[in-house]
Amino acid sequence: MEFSWPWEYDFPPFFTLQPNLDTLRKQLEAWRKLVLDYCRHNKIFVLDVQESISLFQNKAIDRQLSTEGINRVLESLLEYNQIEWCDKAKKQCLVYWKNPQEWGNLIYRYASDKGMTNTVCTFYELTAGDDVQNEEFAGMDQSLLVKALKTLEATNKAEIIMFGGNEGVKFF
Amino acid sequence: MRKRPGIGAIHKQRVEQERFRGKATELQDNVFEQMTNQMEKFRTNLETFASKHRNEIKKNPAFRKQFQDMCASIGVDPLASSKGFWSELLGVGDFYYEIAVQVIEVCLATSPRNGGLITLGELRQRLIKARGKAQHHQEISNDDIIRAIKKLKVLGPGFSIVSLKGTQDTSDILIRSIPGELSADHTEVLKAAEAQSFTSVKALKSTLNWDDVRCLQILNELLRDGVAWVDEQSPEKMYWFPSFFKPLMSEDEIVLPPPN
Repeated sequence: MEFSWPWEYDFPPFFTLQPNLDTLRKQLEAWRKLVLDYCRHNKIFVLDVQESISLFQNKAIDRQLSTEGINRVLESLLEYNQIEWCDKAKKQCLVYWKNPQEWGNLIYRYASDKGMTNTVCTFYELTAGDDVQNEEFAGMDQSLLVKALKTLEATNKAEIIMFGGNEGVKFF
Repeated sequence: MRKRPGIGAIHKQRVEQERFRGKATELQDNVFEQMTNQMEKFRTNLETFASKHRNEIKKNPAFRKQFQDMCASIGVDPLASSKGFWSELLGVGDFYYEIAVQVIEVCLATSPRNGGLITLGELRQRLIKARGKAQHHQEISNDDIIRAIKKLKVLGPGFSIVSLKGTQDTSDILIRSIPGELSADHTEVLKAAEAQSFTSVKALKSTLNWDDVRCLQILNELLRDGVAWVDEQSPEKMYWFPSFFKPLMSEDEIVLPPPN
């Protein structure tokens, strides 16, 4: 199904940082939502800022968000805990269209539904195995998976294990 | 010697005057009574008419408007209260009350985008979409919406009706759901921007014959009100108005709760 762009995307001023503070607030909120919705739709767990330039421009109306604008949007996403930088250079970020806790809960539900508690399963199985293909967390970036599992560890629902060079997790 | 009027004559005159005044009052009373009777007859006929044509009034917006105008001409307001003869007879009071509530909901939902300024056309589209199947055979017209909003205005300063062309032609009416009057200058700029949903200082100067300062001031006020956004990626700064922006109107997102 094709991604449905919000009305703002076709609105030229959307690509100019608004001088009026209230309007700017609405604008940033709309950009945050666009980024999250877009990533959710396309199963993007990690956003590369350079590569995602097309998200911040609309060729059809010949408008694009300036570098400053893009930075403002990213700052706003960070402020709302909707992204987390992967590197100090701020080239890539994890996009939390679900946050680690939500992912943890989803994965745990999957594991208990499949009767996988008290057995060990590898990270690979969880993200790339045949069984998980229809799950939302299929193809999940490993660093995000670890964060998700760590939230489960905090509530004693799982334990991350290293065995024989493989990383895995045991659910309780 | 000329004869002066005697006391008898004066007295006679006075009696005649009294009689005339009495007659005048009697006439007045007569006329008044006749008028009252006429009104009563008129009112009774109107009520009979209303009950006979109740369904038509409910279903047909044009017919409903004519009925309203008829009522107004004899000083009867079917919408005056949600209880009482008229609303029970027609359920009209509830009808407009419901519309008013839904108008408020649509305005609240869209005001983050358009700064609390919505065209009557878009408002009607959203109302119709939101009113759902149960009410689809109660078609609502622009006139119905305006009446409902006028009722709202009685409740407080929140709602105002802005006519861009100074006529009652409903194609150029905006509903403002944020307190504060739009000045005549603001309205002129909105008028100028309506067709393309944007304008610029240059365009305003040529259309309205204003100087730079005035154009900029009004545009900045509209920016400040959240009614306009600025686009700086064109040769000249363009000021856009979400209220007139067509793609915004086809958004399906806004859903109103079903009526009770």
